[in-house]
Amino acid sequence: MSESLQTARLPHSILDERPGYFPVDGASLYTVLHQVENPVARILLVGPFASERHTSYRPWIQWARYLAARRIEALRYDYRGVGESTGVFEEMTFACWIDDVERLAAWLRKRGEDVPLILHGLELGGLLAARNFHNGQGDALILWSAPVNANKVLRSTLQRWIGPQQLLKPEDERRPASYYFRLLDEGQSVEVDGYEWPAELWRQSLNFELPAAMIPPNNPTDFYRRPVQIVTLGKNAAPLVLGGLLTGFEEGKDFCWLFAPNYDWITSSLGIPSEAS
Amino acid sequence: MISSELETRELITLGGDGVLLRATYHKTTGKARNDATALHKRMGVAFLNPLSTPRALIGDSAVYWASSFAARGYPSFRLDLPGLGDTFGEVPNELITFINDGGYAAIVSSKIKELTDSFGLKGAVIYGHCAGGTTAVYAAAECKECKGLILTAPYFNAANLLTPKLSPQMVDWARRSKVGELLRATYTRMRELRKKPGKGTLPGNAHFGLLSHWKKVLSNGLPILILKSAEPAALGSSKLRSSNFDYLGYIASFAVRSNQITVKVIEGTDHSFANRAGRAAVRQYTEAWLSEYFPQESADAPLLQHQSLQASGKLVS
Repeated sequence: MSESLQTARLPHSILDERPGYFPVDGASLYTVLHQVENPVARILLVGPFASERHTSYRPWIQWARYLAARRIEALRYDYRGVGESTGVFEEMTFACWIDDVERLAAWLRKRGEDVPLILHGLELGGLLAARNFHNGQGDALILWSAPVNANKVLRSTLQRWIGPQQLLKPEDERRPASYYFRLLDEGQSVEVDGYEWPAELWRQSLNFELPAAMIPPNNPTDFYRRPVQIVTLGKNAAPLVLGGLLTGFEEGKDFCWLFAPNYDWITSSLGIPSEAS
Repeated sequence: MISSELETRELITLGGDGVLLRATYHKTTGKARNDATALHKRMGVAFLNPLSTPRALIGDSAVYWASSFAARGYPSFRLDLPGLGDTFGEVPNELITFINDGGYAAIVSSKIKELTDSFGLKGAVIYGHCAGGTTAVYAAAECKECKGLILTAPYFNAANLLTPKLSPQMVDWARRSKVGELLRATYTRMRELRKKPGKGTLPGNAHFGLLSHWKKVLSNGLPILILKSAEPAALGSSKLRSSNFDYLGYIASFAVRSNQITVKVIEGTDHSFANRAGRAAVRQYTEAWLSEYFPQESADAPLLQHQSLQASGKLVS
């Protein structure tokens, strides 16, 4: 362990990071509350789909810490059946994951002071956050690289997985992505990156869409009369999004260029005081 | 409403040495808990991060393995090292180099001691995948509480020596991605083929520092289980395959007894062992190895001692 890592003084806020299990029907969600005294707002962070969880984990936590340091209390969690949460992935549905967002948002809103609640979704989490916002939850919404429907996430995840599989398998066992799409279409499950995708999840993904009011040229802020920020992240935002072969593995990467304008948008659109750090 | 504990798991924070390490503790369950004589201490299993992957590992495979080992009577712990997963800390710009230099060894050694003290364990087996295995070897050489190693997909060469002209990002990518695994294996073989080392002579890209720690671990008598995935099919050339330096044979020559190192090759999986075949085989081989080298005598002791330490405030939870 280097001197700098071993002796680095822990900021106070680290002691206020509270990991825990949040009970839902038949499972427990792994949550980490970045607790803040006298918060000016609260934010529920809805992360990406299962396979992308581990690559985006560090910058997603950095964002939570960035906000907590500026008096915005953040709650992040793992989807039911994924990561540290319990539950069986093969039994998951979008309805389960929507329900989780709803419950967590309700819990977060009731934590104390009457401050604005922001829903923020990344990738598939964007769809989950958007659907809840559409149903009336949250005072503001931020979407980072939300797809127009969930099937796009599943397709691109499977396509990324299939390439290396082609190289690792003997020639007579190699199959194109279309083969796995067909299996799912025919009602069979497919294992991708260690997750057994049930055919039902695939079927549901085709109709699990971003609300029409959030698709350009519509103006969601006008439609909902609540602030909405929609950002499409480029490859420079890897590993929050996958950015090709050679990007996305820079653990020490500084994301202030992304965090600062999004934080400024929160404070200005909700009319809350801005903190220096 | 939010709790830090479930029937089979608990979220723990190891707070010794001023470093708050976030971890998940998988409690022994079922028969393993009930058939205890309760007087003897148990052997735990501690999982480390491979590079920056959070403590659940790819496909949440470590959750599966830790739950399985705990059900067999081995309390299991998945740790996030400083800067990784939920544990706060800076991450070095060249993480792979930091790990290859044994950068996490001291903290792992310290936290293994803290775990064994807090949970009343008689020792711990460290489980390290890929770069996590490198950290495990460094830590095991210094940590008397470490009683064995489980290493999946370990490596023995130095990425920074192997590819001095490549960018750190490229080296990093080659170390962890599936395509990179293939290219790395091919490149290593090409270099070694060209050099034609003599019998028993280490290739120039060998990680000499790591290998010296291997020797120390072996001389301490620790049993080691090594699990490898089969060679990528695209490495079709038998000339390339045969040119690979036999590192396992090399380190085995330093074993202090014939059964000290157990090596198993797992077919039908990839570098992560996260698919169905990989998970099942890792579980099966590891459980067999644990029961052979560390037969459990008690289940309740660590849980009871942990609870009393928690009550006394020595363990942050």
